[in-house]
Amino acid sequence: MATAPLLRLVLVVSCIGSSMAVLFSGLPNTLTVTASPAAGQVLHAGVDQIKVSWKLNESTPASADSGYKKVKVLLCYAPVSQVDRGWRKTDDHLKKDKTCQFKVTTQPYSSGGGGSFVYSVERKIPTGTYFVRAYALDSGDTEVAYGQTTNAGKTANLFDVVGITGRHASLDVAAGCFSAFSILALVFFFVVEKRKAKK
Amino acid sequence: MEDSGKSSLHVESSAAEGGHFKLPVDSEQKATEFWLFSFAKPHMQAFHLSWFSFFCCFVSTFAAPPLLPVIRDNLNLTTTDIGNAGIASVSGAVFARVAMGTACDLVGPRLASASLTLLTAPAVYFTSVINSASSYLLVRFFTGFSLASFVSTQFWMSSMFSPPVVGVANGIAGGWGNLGGGATQLIMPLVYDLIHHIGSTSFTAWRIAFFIPGFMQTVSAIAVLALGQDLPNGNYRKLEKAGDKHKDSFRKVFYHGVTNYRGWILALTYGYCFGVELTIDNIIAEYFYDKFNVNLRTAGIIAASFGMANIISRPGGGLLSDWMSRRHGMRGRLWSLWVVQITGGVLCIVMGRMNNLGASIIVMILFSFFVQAACGLTFGVVPFVSRRSLGLISGMTGGGGNVGAVITQLIFFKGSKYSKETGITLMGVMILCCTLPITLIYFPQWGGLFCGPRPKATAEDYYAAEWSEDEKERGYHSASVKFAENSVREGGRKRDSSPAVPADDTPSHA
Repeated sequence: MATAPLLRLVLVVSCIGSSMAVLFSGLPNTLTVTASPAAGQVLHAGVDQIKVSWKLNESTPASADSGYKKVKVLLCYAPVSQVDRGWRKTDDHLKKDKTCQFKVTTQPYSSGGGGSFVYSVERKIPTGTYFVRAYALDSGDTEVAYGQTTNAGKTANLFDVVGITGRHASLDVAAGCFSAFSILALVFFFVVEKRKAKK
Repeated sequence: MEDSGKSSLHVESSAAEGGHFKLPVDSEQKATEFWLFSFAKPHMQAFHLSWFSFFCCFVSTFAAPPLLPVIRDNLNLTTTDIGNAGIASVSGAVFARVAMGTACDLVGPRLASASLTLLTAPAVYFTSVINSASSYLLVRFFTGFSLASFVSTQFWMSSMFSPPVVGVANGIAGGWGNLGGGATQLIMPLVYDLIHHIGSTSFTAWRIAFFIPGFMQTVSAIAVLALGQDLPNGNYRKLEKAGDKHKDSFRKVFYHGVTNYRGWILALTYGYCFGVELTIDNIIAEYFYDKFNVNLRTAGIIAASFGMANIISRPGGGLLSDWMSRRHGMRGRLWSLWVVQITGGVLCIVMGRMNNLGASIIVMILFSFFVQAACGLTFGVVPFVSRRSLGLISGMTGGGGNVGAVITQLIFFKGSKYSKETGITLMGVMILCCTLPITLIYFPQWGGLFCGPRPKATAEDYYAAEWSEDEKERGYHSASVKFAENSVREGGRKRDSSPAVPADDTPSHA
C-alpha cells in the first residue's frame, strides 16, 4: 500500500479539521497497539487490569506523525458482542460509530516514542468480548490515524470481560421483606373482611 | 321515568345506610355530577383511590424501558431479548383483565384490584435481583399482570357514576392511570441518576431504583382496602349478606358477556388504540435514544411526554363522548370514536417517517392526543354494552387492548427484521384496518354508525334480555332496569320527534 497518497489524505483531513465527517475507512493504520490480555483471556470488571502500549509502526516514515498531538485509547466491542445489539453498531462515520464506548485514556503524543497506560477495568464495563483501539488526534481533536490490538476483520486476539452483577445481599433481603409485607397485608385485610361479614 | 338531570338530589333510601351523599345521585345512588377536586365519600374517594393505584401499576409495568440502556448492558441482553420481554410485559394482562372483569362482577372492584396489586408487588421488588435475560422476561411478565387493575378502575367508576358522567369519570380514571406509563419514564431515570450520584455503580443503582414503584404499589393497594367501598351503599359482601344485592352466578355472567358481539368488536378496536399506546410505552425511549443520540434523561423526558398527554387526552375523549351523547346519543359516541381513532392511525404513519428530532416529537405528541382520546371514547361506549356482565365486557375490552400490544410487538418490534421507524409506520396502517369494525356496532334502541334505531326497541328490553323470566320474577334484574331508565339520554336529543329510520342490516343482538 503506497503511503504517500494516504499521507496526503491525512494532511487534507487534518487541514479541513473537524467540520468534515471523519470516516474510519479513511484513517491510516499507523500505530501498533498491544494490550496485556492474551487472546481468549477472561478479565473481571473492577478487579483486573489491562496494560496498553502503543507506538508508531516501524514501516511508517518518522515524519508521518507530525500532526499527531494526542492519543485516545478506547475499549471496543468485538463483532460477537455486537450481534443483535443495534446500540453497539459499527458505522464508518466516526461520529455515529458505537463500536468503542469506553475511554481508557487520552494522553499527549510523544513523537517517535510510544506510550503506555495501566487501565483498571471499570465496574461499569458490561460482560462481552473486546479489543483495544487507539486513535491519534490532531490539534483539533479530530482522529487522523489509528491502531488496534486485533486484525482488520476483528477476529484475532480478542479478550473477554465479565461484568459485575450489581446485586447485593442487602437488596435480596430487602426484596424478600417488602414482598412478604405486601402479601401479609392482603391476608390481614381478608381476615378482617371475613370477620366483619360474619357480624 | 327517572329524570337524569344534573341538579336532582333525588335519593332513594332503599339501602341500609341512610343514603346521605354530598354529590347529587340517581336512583341507583350513582353520582350524577363529577367533582374532580373533591374527596367526598364514597364516589370521589373511590375515584381518587382507583386512579392512583392504577397509576402505580402502570409505573411499575413500564419502569424497565427507560432504564434499558443500563439494564441491557448489565444483563447482556440482545434486541430479541428486549423485544420478548416487552411482549411478555403486556401479555400477562390479556387474561388477567378478563379474569379481573369477572372477579369484579363477583367480589367487587375493591377486593379484586387490591388483591391483584398486592400480589404483583413482589414481582417488582424481585426485579432488583434478576441476573439474566430469562429472569428479566419473567419479572416483566408478572409485573404486567397488574395492568388488569384497569378493569377494576372502569368497573368501579361505572358503579359509582351515572350515565351522563360515566364517560368523563372513566376517561379521567383511565387517563390518569395510564399517565403512569409516562411518569415512569421521568421518575425512573431521575431516581437512577440520584442513586448513581450518591455513589452506587450503574449496575446497582438501577436495581435500587425499582423499590420506588414497588413501594408505591403496596401503599396504594393498602389505601384501597382501608378506605375504599365497592358501591355507593357499601361493599359487596355486606350488601349480599343483607339481601340488598343478589350474588350473581359466574356461568350466567360469562355467557352474557361472551355472546355479546359488541364486546368482541370493542376488544379488537381497543387493541389498536390502547394496545398501540402500550407498544409505544415499551419502545419509545430506546427509539429516541438510539435514533437521535440523545442521552438517557432526555430520551426519558421525550418518552414521558407521550404518556403524560394522558392527563387531558384520555379524559378529553371521555368528555367528548359524553358531550356527543348529549346531542346525538350513542351514535354520537360511536362516530367520535371512529373519527378520532382513524386520525390517530394516520398520525402514527407520519411519525414513523419523521427524520428530524423536533418534527418527530411534535408528531408524536399529536399522535398521543388522538390515540389516547380514542381510549377514553371507547370506554364511553363500554358501560352500555351490558349491565349484567359489565365487568366481563370491560375485561374483554381491556384484555383486547393488551392483545393488540402483544400482536403489534410480535409482528413489528421483535428482533431486527423491521427498523423501529418502519415498524411504527406499519403499526399506523394496522390501526386504520382494525378500526373499521366499529362500523358494525349496533344498538337496537339507539342505532349504530350508519343506521338509526329500530322503532319500538327500548333500553329496558335490551338490558332485561340478559335475565331469564325466572330471574326477572325474583327481581334480580332491578339494577338493570334502573340503569336502563338512567340511560334514556343515549337516544340523543331528537329521540321522540324524528321518524325512526328502518334498519336494514341490523345484526340481532344476543
